[in-house]
Amino acid sequence: MSGIYEEGGEVLKETMTPRGRVQAAIDLQVPDRVPVLPFWTIYFACRYKGMNGYQMIKDYERARQANIEVFDELGGFDGQVYPGISFVFPDRLSRIIREPLYKIPGIDLPLDSVLQHDECEILSPEDYDLIADLGWKAFAEKYYGKFNSRPASQILDWGRRQTARYMEDIKAWNEHGVPVYQGGQVFSPLMFFSMFRTLQQFTLDLYRRPDRVEAAMDALVDDVIQDGIDSAKLTGLPWVMLVLERGGSFYYPLKIFERFEWPYLKKITEAWVKAGITPQLHFDQDWTLNLPYFKELPKGCICEFDSCTDIFKTKEILGGIQCIMGDVSASLLTYGTRDEVEEYCTKLIDVVGKGGGFILSSGCNVPVDAKFENVKAMIDTAKNYAPAGALQEEKPCLSLEKR
Amino acid sequence: MSELADAITNLKEDEALRIVRHRLEVGEEPISLVAECRRGMTIVGELYRKKEYFLGELIMSGEIFKQAMSLIEPKLKGDIRTEIIGQVVLGTVKGDIHNLGKDIVAGLLRIAGFEVFDLGADVAPQVFVEKLVETGAPIVGLSGLITPSFESMKDTVKAIEEKGIRDKVKVVIGGGIVIKQVKDYVGADAFTRDAAEGVEMCQEFMKRVEKC
Repeated sequence: MSGIYEEGGEVLKETMTPRGRVQAAIDLQVPDRVPVLPFWTIYFACRYKGMNGYQMIKDYERARQANIEVFDELGGFDGQVYPGISFVFPDRLSRIIREPLYKIPGIDLPLDSVLQHDECEILSPEDYDLIADLGWKAFAEKYYGKFNSRPASQILDWGRRQTARYMEDIKAWNEHGVPVYQGGQVFSPLMFFSMFRTLQQFTLDLYRRPDRVEAAMDALVDDVIQDGIDSAKLTGLPWVMLVLERGGSFYYPLKIFERFEWPYLKKITEAWVKAGITPQLHFDQDWTLNLPYFKELPKGCICEFDSCTDIFKTKEILGGIQCIMGDVSASLLTYGTRDEVEEYCTKLIDVVGKGGGFILSSGCNVPVDAKFENVKAMIDTAKNYAPAGALQEEKPCLSLEKR
Repeated sequence: MSELADAITNLKEDEALRIVRHRLEVGEEPISLVAECRRGMTIVGELYRKKEYFLGELIMSGEIFKQAMSLIEPKLKGDIRTEIIGQVVLGTVKGDIHNLGKDIVAGLLRIAGFEVFDLGADVAPQVFVEKLVETGAPIVGLSGLITPSFESMKDTVKAIEEKGIRDKVKVVIGGGIVIKQVKDYVGADAFTRDAAEGVEMCQEFMKRVEKC
């Protein structure tokens, strides 16, 4: 083991609750230590407990129990971002059918696999016009059969079951004394159209019929906002993830980002923050060139990165302006050594954690096959490592303890 | 730069196709049009490497190239294989259904002059081996987006070794989250998170093959 624990000597004295510590980071204040929120659905914990991908879904009670046991065996941390594997759906078709299709272990995939998005061309170019003309909600109610062949009543029932299980998961964690943060998830308009047209076709649409794409996005964005607000109300958790991946600088030049992602991202976050919601902006892939724009987002967002964006550049640009979350990569958690994880987390705490406003986390989900010792190394580093001058030099925001 | 190469580089789809149709109609040698289309795509690749172009431009220019070639190829008289600079067997490994990255690489490889044997997604190790034996391709590209795919990549490399052809095949792994440790674990020759870089690696490998 590296020497960081020896230097610290013992576990840092914690003076804040997990929720207070996380909120302090969101508020860009200096917590007693860097909060740590590795997140997964159920896969990592269940695999560690010997369950395959099919068993996790079929025996959900056991999966939920495995999740809690692994949390404890890791020594606990500052809470669960997701409570489990389910989704939250306001009770309407227009939201439920926007959830991408999945392939399921044991049914469509090998038993020991994980849920994977099944991206296919569900929407046609003509649908942009229909959505623009009818509005998203009316389009969804008229054409939901494009997305799902089951009767509307069955789709709604599935959505209700998902939401009910989400609520049960929250209850189970809370009874265990663990806070859950995320009260909803929605895709940005660009992500939605990209997933349901496919990346290839959607990209061609951006060049061939940009006005029609833009009109459809304009017709969708208010529903995205309302779905987030209603999800937060349903769960009582005013923290909503906006799934973003395909609008950033890995995929498109800034002129496309400026037209098809940025205006909607700004509008959604402004509306959510105004409604008292913390937007968790899930920036998968490389957004390094887009970072300067995020200075204009409202205060109170979490900008979360998966290791593809330069997190140190992110600190330079967004430090003191937005809360930064991330970015221990899936590969490092699975194929790195414990020492490598410690070393990287130490660097994150030293550089990105300096002055507060940082949540140490996995880059996207902790993968199903992550090494237990590596996940524990991430958590322990946050708990034990106090860099000179990075945290304790400023007075912790103890008033937040009451939140 | 020719008008055609310029239209492709600047993503002017209608203009590029109009030029191709016109020049074929007036009886120009189709092989010269192929060269100009490739020249346009080479410049797109250079702009991508300089981070002036992004994946979106690669996809759009690739589509224009594909359409242009669909007009030109029926007119090609000789054996187009003279244009092929190498062969690559490509696929997303067993247990992973993500096609996008693999498809992008396949398109770029074809544009660069490679013959690509695209096996699709969720491909078993033995299928890679059989295709390598059948084609004699000196390069195999293994794609994967999720960490469980790395185990399948390792199994595939092992299957190639067991067939006794590992020394004849360069293995490149690719995907959004691959790192050096994954390359070492899998036993690959190279790794990349960048489609254009993957093509460059294949070009480098072919240079070494030619010297042998």
